[in-house]
Amino acid sequence: MRWFISTRYFFSHKRQSLVCIAGVTISVMMFIAMLAMMNGFTDKFITETVESSGHITVHDEPREKDTQILERFTTHPDALLSIERTKPRDTVKQIKNPTGLVAQLRRMPGIVAAAPEVTGEAIASYGTRNVNMAIVGIEPEQQQRVTTIGKDVKEGSFRRLRTTADGVVIGSGLQKVLGAQLDDTIVLTSNTGGRTSARVVGVFETGVTPVDYSRAYMLVNSAQTLLDKKNVINRIILRTDDYTRAEAYSKQIESLCGYKTESWQEASANFLKIFKVQTVITYVITGALLIVAAFGVLNILIMAVLERVNDIAILKSFGLSRGDVTLIYLFQGMVIGLIGATLGVGLGKLVVEGLRRLPIKVEGLVKSEGLLMSENVGMYVQAFLASIVITMVAAVYPARRAAKYDPVEVIRGAH
Amino acid sequence: MARIERGSTGVSPLFSLINENHGRDARATSISLLEARNVHRVLGSGDAANHILKGVNLAIHPREYVSIVGASGSGKSTLLYLLGGLDRPSRNDPAGKPFDPPSRILIDGQDTARLNDTQLALVRNEKAGFVFQFHYLLKEFTAQENVALPMLKLGRLSKSQIMDRAAMLLKRFGLGDKVKRKANRLSGGEQQRVAIARALANEPAVVLADEPTGNLDKKNSELVAEIFQQLSEGGQTIVMVTHDSAFARRAKRIVTMEDGNVVRDGELVGSGGGEVR
Repeated sequence: MRWFISTRYFFSHKRQSLVCIAGVTISVMMFIAMLAMMNGFTDKFITETVESSGHITVHDEPREKDTQILERFTTHPDALLSIERTKPRDTVKQIKNPTGLVAQLRRMPGIVAAAPEVTGEAIASYGTRNVNMAIVGIEPEQQQRVTTIGKDVKEGSFRRLRTTADGVVIGSGLQKVLGAQLDDTIVLTSNTGGRTSARVVGVFETGVTPVDYSRAYMLVNSAQTLLDKKNVINRIILRTDDYTRAEAYSKQIESLCGYKTESWQEASANFLKIFKVQTVITYVITGALLIVAAFGVLNILIMAVLERVNDIAILKSFGLSRGDVTLIYLFQGMVIGLIGATLGVGLGKLVVEGLRRLPIKVEGLVKSEGLLMSENVGMYVQAFLASIVITMVAAVYPARRAAKYDPVEVIRGAH
Repeated sequence: MARIERGSTGVSPLFSLINENHGRDARATSISLLEARNVHRVLGSGDAANHILKGVNLAIHPREYVSIVGASGSGKSTLLYLLGGLDRPSRNDPAGKPFDPPSRILIDGQDTARLNDTQLALVRNEKAGFVFQFHYLLKEFTAQENVALPMLKLGRLSKSQIMDRAAMLLKRFGLGDKVKRKANRLSGGEQQRVAIARALANEPAVVLADEPTGNLDKKNSELVAEIFQQLSEGGQTIVMVTHDSAFARRAKRIVTMEDGNVVRDGELVGSGGGEVR
């Protein structure tokens, strides 16, 4: 009977009910569209960063710092020690026995592939244009096992590094800044004074702007010469069987090899923090939309209660309890929430698909030919449940207000 | 005047609508169907307090047809609402002192003070049928649905049985052709007849009517008065508040109220309804 009365009330005020439903529908739709867009960009960044730079990086920084000579000989707290004519050792930062370590890491459970790298800074010059870049010296075959960089090549190929003396594969951003084309020769000058003329044998595009605008790959030998790091390997890149577990693997590897080891999550911590903040902002904005819709429901239900004070009085006179009257209005809130949420989820899906097909070029932190939309079932369930809960909460006040009416007072007032 | 249909047995078909159990049980044990014991009702508090009922004692027995009359503000409607469990008596006087003995309302032997709001609502649903000056029909519902609502709440019959019974009640009040009509598309007299049918839907022990002809023209007032007469003849207990002296005199017992007290309570003498004894 409560449901019967509730639905009749709901359908008797079609316009008001439609306004309420529209509010909920739009907010659910916006919630889904904004979250899908937000997730799309985040996922693209994470995927491309992880896939183009590896899951785990072993750096050339020993975990335990060398103990100072004075500390080694301090046997008594009151001892006075003095060292004369000390000369700082000229040490080159590198990973010791990289071949052995790479082989050892490849045998670790969860590690799919490992590749050595030498890295350093250089300035590329082409004509009058100069640009800073990160030189990454690689073994192309091994590198393509730990990253997907080979698939990101849009001109030339990594294979040409083997066939071209001092070949370099540059990011599409660098190519744009320098203005150099495939097979053009650019001059590379390292910060240690090394200098070489390198031929552009490939151009890659990961879609992650910081990578595309800063990175260039050379053969490991060429890079070692340019960077004045003969026989030095200062990074080992690892690919795991599950990139989400990279942090856990990273800790294990660090304790095993004794070098600072960084997962992709640690390396991109700043960006991930920004994404978290953006996600929170998205939730706040879309949540605010839902709350505004809920206020619409609240307002219209209060009006409905005020319009039907006499009905409430007579319903109570023939035996409806406070609980019955409360449920009549809660049911109305639930119906609005259910219809609004269902339509919102449907429209949200359509909007996501529509936005995905829009030919909008995006170039920011990530580069894309269209809007990046990423969706999952949880997102839809979240939007659906949140809207129902919020509209139900909005219906509580009018429902309780309706339940509180004293039929005698109402009837006396109408006399 | 619309004709109220009568059954072929010669006995008013409305009689058959009365819950026989209520009447039989009450008569057998000769207990009051409704009873007010030292009933006080104070509205508001402090200086604004209005002491409307001042220790009313009244018993309504099964099958009685009682009119409550009195000047405006004498407390007759308040008493009616209390007798039907729509309101509760006050516990304390305007100064905050508890009434001694405490105010009590008994409906079919049940002390309303011992019932919570939900239980009291169930008692109203089962035992009382209210008719007010204004019909209070739910305008979004048809005449049939309005009559069906109390039965849907009671839940003793299936939905189809409820709708059939609602249609039958309306037919007996001359509204057989308006069963499916929305309440707001009926005339004033028709609306009030639907309201009476609704009050009778659950075969209540008592019908409590508050100025049921107050908003009607003479023709419809006569019709409603005739309905109440027939209900009474059929054994329905009726308690009615009215300003209409002619209508009041149709009752066998007239209770007169003045300033929150019952000042006269007696049966009418003579078929013409002349003296109150």
